[in-house]
Amino acid sequence: MASSTAGSSICMKSASCSLEHAQASGRTSRLRSVSLPTNKTFQSLRSSTGPYRLQVCCAAKPETVGKVCEIVKKQLALLDDSEVTGESKFAALGADSLDTVEIVMGLEEEFGISVEEESAQSILTVQDAADLIEKLIEKKATN
Amino acid sequence: MNLLRRTVRIPMNTFCLHRTFAASALHLAPVQLPSRAESHLWYLVPDEVKSVSLLGQYSEILSPCENEYVACIRGEQLKKTALLARVLVRTTIARYQTDGYIDPRSLKFRKNIHGKPELEWDNDDSGSRPPVQFNISHTASLIACGVTNSSPIGVDIEKKDRKIQNNIISFARRYFTPNEVERLSSISDLNVQRQHFLKLWTLKEAYVKALGKGISALPFSTFTIKSRNFEKKELNGSGDSDPEITVESVDGQRSLLSNWQFTLLELAGTHFAAVCVARDGSMGDKCFTPKKLTVMKTIPFVGDESMSGTDAAIVCGF
Repeated sequence: MASSTAGSSICMKSASCSLEHAQASGRTSRLRSVSLPTNKTFQSLRSSTGPYRLQVCCAAKPETVGKVCEIVKKQLALLDDSEVTGESKFAALGADSLDTVEIVMGLEEEFGISVEEESAQSILTVQDAADLIEKLIEKKATN
Repeated sequence: MNLLRRTVRIPMNTFCLHRTFAASALHLAPVQLPSRAESHLWYLVPDEVKSVSLLGQYSEILSPCENEYVACIRGEQLKKTALLARVLVRTTIARYQTDGYIDPRSLKFRKNIHGKPELEWDNDDSGSRPPVQFNISHTASLIACGVTNSSPIGVDIEKKDRKIQNNIISFARRYFTPNEVERLSSISDLNVQRQHFLKLWTLKEAYVKALGKGISALPFSTFTIKSRNFEKKELNGSGDSDPEITVESVDGQRSLLSNWQFTLLELAGTHFAAVCVARDGSMGDKCFTPKKLTVMKTIPFVGDESMSGTDAAIVCGF
């Protein structure tokens, strides 16, 4: 009768592109810990008959990531079927600084949040934007 | 392993500069370093570089890391621009040799804490180290690289016909200063307003890039870019040699930052280009001599064309 762990950390390396070209400060490695907040639902990946249950959850809801992808595609005039996912880097999609700020403004209006310019440096991928949005929404809800 | 070499014939009309191109001679004509009172602005039009062979040779100049980055980019046009931007930087800097030939492949770059690319020299390079400062900007259709002798420089370009997704005044209220919002709001023609917005954006970007920061480190709401002509100020001193475009820090004190010079151009007929250069420290405030900007169009290893004083490099009002 194994009890499921309430949360487990999974480290994910971001896309294989060279980190030298990250827009932000000179971090030489980029491991992102994905931890499970206890108030979020999660799916189990393995059946309960296994020796342990592995549970995975994305930091931001897929709907949030999807909405960010939509706004990004619109800003960059990409076709609907073009491949934009959580791992997509803004710079690699052809976004310049004005695009990024326009996207952030679009996200602020869509989600009713305020993103400080200082945070913009840390938004390199669609996932980063989605994670930040959910963090700001949560912060706003608890204030 | 035998490598078979293919001879590639390049049609003469591929290059608008009408120069001969010898596939085997990767020759970079040296360029004299600008004086402290000058800056250089180089630009390249990606659509004019069609030769597959030349593009292949360009790839050989990039570092493995840069090639890896270019390979990650989706879309042929974006890939090509990323390749050409790095080629333009490497070849341009290598041409400012002060002490013998510099192989563009040998240059090393790093990013400062805010992400601005800088040259990185090994300790044993001290002899052949030209005091070049540079900054690059590109769109899908143009790449520009500004160069100075020792002075910090920032360059930003935008396509003149670029559409803004958000409402311009809402955007300006969110990110710019009240003074700038007022100026934008006073423009009734929406197209003129959009163009003024783009000019303002490039000037602000050029400034933060010259400082070595980005918008994150220096939010655009903390400084105002102003036009002397618009403000109609009566300035003491020599009138015409006073700067037309100035930057003021919005820190409650509104301090004029007089050690930065701005040039705003219409470049290649298609883009706005803003260049921001630190003034030489030895010049006093009362004696403002604008730094001369020389504009050159280039295709690396093929040829250059001087564009200063032509329709391709028009100083525009702000």
